Amino acid sequence: MKPRVGLFVTCLVDLVRPQVGFAAVKLIELAGCDIEVPATQTCCGQPAWNSGADKHAADIARQVVDAFESFDYVVAPSGSCAGMLRIHYPELLKNDDAYATRARSLAAKSHELISFLVRVRGMKDVAARSNVRACYHDSCSSLRENGVKTEPRTLLASVNGLELSELKEPEVCCGFGGLFSVKYPEISERLANDKIADAQATGADTLLGADLGCLLHLAGCMEKQGKAMKVRHVAEVLADIHGPALGEPR
Amino acid sequence: MSARDEILSAIRTRRVKNAPRPARYAPPPPESDLVKQFADRARRTAAEVQILNDLSDVPAAVADILRGKNMEAAIHLPPHSPFAALDWKTAPGLSLESKSPGPDDAALALVPFGIAETGTLVNPARDSAPASWHFRPGLEIAVIHTRDILPHMENVFARIKQSGALPHTINFVSGPSRTGDIEQTLELGAHGPKALAILIVEEA
Amino acid sequence: MTASTPQEFPAEAHAALSDETLKVALRRLKTHFALGRQLAFTRYGDMEALREQGRAIRDYALSRLDSLLESFERQVKSRGGQVHWARDAKEARDIILKILRETGAKTVTKGKSMVSEEIALNPFLEANGMHPVETDLGEYIIQLRKEPPSHIIAPAFHLSKEQVAETFRESHTELDPRRSLEERTTLVLEARRMLRAQFEAADAGITGANFLSAEEGAAVIVTNEGNGDLTRLLPKTHIVLTGIEKVVADLDDVSVLLRLLTRSATGQDISSYVTVMLGPRNAKEADGPENFHIVLLDNGRSRLIGTEAEDVLRCIRCAACLNHCPIYGAVGGHSYGATYSGPIGAALNPNLLGVSAARHHTNASTFCGRCAEVCPVKIPLPKIMRYWRAREYASGLAPKAMTFGLGLWAFAAKRPALYRFFSATVAWTLRKLGGKKGHVHALPIMNGWFAVRDFPAPQGKSFHHLWAHRK
Repeated sequence: MKPRVGLFVTCLVDLVRPQVGFAAVKLIELAGCDIEVPATQTCCGQPAWNSGADKHAADIARQVVDAFESFDYVVAPSGSCAGMLRIHYPELLKNDDAYATRARSLAAKSHELISFLVRVRGMKDVAARSNVRACYHDSCSSLRENGVKTEPRTLLASVNGLELSELKEPEVCCGFGGLFSVKYPEISERLANDKIADAQATGADTLLGADLGCLLHLAGCMEKQGKAMKVRHVAEVLADIHGPALGEPR
Repeated sequence: MSARDEILSAIRTRRVKNAPRPARYAPPPPESDLVKQFADRARRTAAEVQILNDLSDVPAAVADILRGKNMEAAIHLPPHSPFAALDWKTAPGLSLESKSPGPDDAALALVPFGIAETGTLVNPARDSAPASWHFRPGLEIAVIHTRDILPHMENVFARIKQSGALPHTINFVSGPSRTGDIEQTLELGAHGPKALAILIVEEA
Repeated sequence: MTASTPQEFPAEAHAALSDETLKVALRRLKTHFALGRQLAFTRYGDMEALREQGRAIRDYALSRLDSLLESFERQVKSRGGQVHWARDAKEARDIILKILRETGAKTVTKGKSMVSEEIALNPFLEANGMHPVETDLGEYIIQLRKEPPSHIIAPAFHLSKEQVAETFRESHTELDPRRSLEERTTLVLEARRMLRAQFEAADAGITGANFLSAEEGAAVIVTNEGNGDLTRLLPKTHIVLTGIEKVVADLDDVSVLLRLLTRSATGQDISSYVTVMLGPRNAKEADGPENFHIVLLDNGRSRLIGTEAEDVLRCIRCAACLNHCPIYGAVGGHSYGATYSGPIGAALNPNLLGVSAARHHTNASTFCGRCAEVCPVKIPLPKIMRYWRAREYASGLAPKAMTFGLGLWAFAAKRPALYRFFSATVAWTLRKLGGKKGHVHALPIMNGWFAVRDFPAPQGKSFHHLWAHRK
């Protein structure tokens, strides 16, 4: 029997870039799983948790546990949302007698999309074509909360026509940081500019990443400054789903 | 309540954690040749290192080093220095000084312990070796016997404790004085010696 | 230059972002310290085991802080040293002044100490007729410039050598005004000469301590310049000022922490000098201080025990978190307007200065996690910053606009049907606003976003809508 995967769509994918959700569905099905999308999900609660609004965050976390605990796996096309489920829910609900154990068991079966495909499902390649020179932005939460580093590169190496180059400082934050980007825009912009300069210096025409937050921030900064680079979620490329990049004219 | 009692009682009242004592740390095993490792690490700290066959070679080596640096042919020895007993006639023209060295002078010290892991000299303060003499001169020449080179800092602490009462100060010296405080760029000789020369004496 | 306050962080950060000298200095910090650290750990080998040992040593010590401090005190006293306890900054300042007055001291040399900055000792000593002289080159430079340190271990890294030369020219008026000060070496040698005279003249010396060891009653300092040693050894009186959390079980534990400290701080396998200070000189010893005092400062440290922020007490002040922090790397240390800056400042300052006063320090973080990753004693710095944000939120100290907005959003996020309706509406509206060009340039809300970015327009319908209506 195929494992049942609950897709945690993430609020940003739902709102801004539904095709990332469909790319995730396609990849998870290719990896031999049945996929379902619980209708009672909204957001993982990061904005509340990171702001210290623990009560709001806990309410939302309980809602996610209720919606997803029956699946074999929970997969999110975002490192920070996966990190929220995997690392912060057990912390957030540790004193909630009814949910502490359930949060821990949800955490144990939750995964960031690309690491799920490669590590859990053993995916080694994809059948996709993309004639781009790409570079890859590791989001801090994919890198440090989920330990994802080689997995996206492994899959991207199998994309026909895609040439991948590496940033000089792949471990440095791009300056998004959720509400940080709105609270301290100037500092956020400086970090984005450093990241964009690093990306442009690789000679790549496309910036890929697995966290839509970082990508919207970077694409938004580039757009504002008139810097031409296409920005896409890595799942779109891996699933061979194309169309305008983030912020591109339709 | 006194400040002392208040602080200690605050610590006791609030404490929740009960962390166990970790097992003793095993530093990376020393390389096969301790002396070679010591010399190599000391050079890495910008110390100059020479190996001498015998303690009687020290005066000539000191004279050589001073000449090589265009320094005055004078070496400061603390009162009660064991080196006073050496035959200094083997280094003609070299004068011995007993007063405290100034910032451009050279001083000679017998160092009782070395650490191979880091190329460090260990100087417990004692009658024949004033602690400040490791910091006052422009050049320190340190003599160490091969048998006194131990693998790690922990071994040195064990030896000092075995030898009885602890001194007021133990100075660990790795290379000359340095600073990176101006534009993060390394400069030698901030307050302590501008140069450190180590003479390793091979003796049983 | 007058020091700013923590509340002025946004304005200070704004100014810092366009300071070109600072930008160059911050880049140097990255290439020198961060790269140096990486190379040092690679040379060493099993860095992870070493970090884990460091964490365990500090945790053990903190869970027996009372008995270790008592043992430390006993040992120091048994060799003729004196131990003083200070509940807060004022008590510590008063204790030090009393010791100085009793020994008739006037000129006081100082080794680099962050605790001394924490209790604002220099202005206090000056106001009471003392003459404190910082002897660490970086501290000396900023003392002459009347600036606070901008970094825990490199207090003057933000200055160029031309600025240092200008400062020396203005301060060392007894020297030939036509002398050349173009080379760094010349500057270092000039400071060496000027400060040697101060060392010789000093009546008392004050240093901090990087570690205290309970079993032997030792205070340990690391320096590269040798200034800490001349501060300790030449005057008649030596005072060690340090925090109560610095104690560990014994000198073997100190040996382990030293391996972590210097590699994490400057990328050195060991600093030029490590000094183990056990007491005043005895009759047989050739030199050293006649009087030896230790001042143990609490200043809110004990208050952290048993809280979620307790792990911050493990800190060994290496500054690796500063050197790897993207925020510190953009705005520098002075922007924080506090003794402790960067991630460690964000974790310490709410306790020292108040949750509200230090709110920018804890909020100006993307939680990128690099600080925790490089911390030699594995302090979960983002977790502690988040803890302070939660305290701020729970105490009603967070900005009203933010709590209101979050409340509204959370209300919807807890009601999936309502949330669906809102997100579909927002997606549709932004899509319309984006038009053919594919991005939104400005909106009357979310100024923080649109100040520096456009917003890539949504594709139109929400994922959940499309999923519900697929095929």
